[in-house]
Amino acid sequence: MIERLSHGPASVHGLTEAFALSQQMISKHVACLIRARIVIKTKRGRESVCTLRPEAIKSVSDWAAYYRRFWEESFDKLDVVVNQMKKTEVRDGKKHG
Amino acid sequence: MEKNTVDETERMVITRVFDAPRELVWKAWTDPQYVMQWWGPKGFTSPFCEMDFRVGGKFRCCMRSPDGQEFWNAGEYHEIVLHEKIVSSMYFADPQGNKVEPEQYGIEHEAIDGAYDVTIFEDLGNGQTKLTFIGNEPMESAINSGQIEGWNQILDKVAELIGGLASAK
Repeated sequence: MIERLSHGPASVHGLTEAFALSQQMISKHVACLIRARIVIKTKRGRESVCTLRPEAIKSVSDWAAYYRRFWEESFDKLDVVVNQMKKTEVRDGKKHG
Repeated sequence: MEKNTVDETERMVITRVFDAPRELVWKAWTDPQYVMQWWGPKGFTSPFCEMDFRVGGKFRCCMRSPDGQEFWNAGEYHEIVLHEKIVSSMYFADPQGNKVEPEQYGIEHEAIDGAYDVTIFEDLGNGQTKLTFIGNEPMESAINSGQIEGWNQILDKVAELIGGLASAK
């Protein structure tokens, strides 16, 4: 959730959609983050908008964590690609395309 | 501690065993057509990737977050050993490939000067390939990395040869 908010403020409704969780679950999680002074909640019309506190952004979106996540998750996707390539090669009888 | 030494905590090593031959993993890693299919964290897509895959050549890749924000990275290839090893550098860039400060993307980054990424491809001999990615290596160790694995393989071959010679007697 912090990662999502590091891209910019989001409404509770928006977060509910992003995580496929109930609004109740999201609100609970947001409440924790507010208590931990990581997130600020403001009202914009009827919507509650969650924003990361600037001080929190500094510590959560640090390079090391970002970098590791980038590569770990890229590797996960690479695994899928490699398996797909393998299937294609077998199907095409090693023909290069 | 000296200021120009890389802090151990900054190093990052990721290994993964792929159930595919080494040439195939190499292809998936070095052909933009395939790189675009895996570049970026979960949920991200890669709408653009260009690679001038040769020593001194540059690459430029874009990834798009689930909410549409685009991040461009670029870098350069410093060493390429076919099917075995790649030493490269990577930085945040604008869509033209010019280096930008990561802060522009909202990422806090303590710059590590002279840091390189090393990718090592190891043939495990059973149709599997072990891929090791070492991030932020200083150049000297980047050049030397992979040599231990290389030596182990040579020693294994020597041992095999010796074993064969011994049983042929």
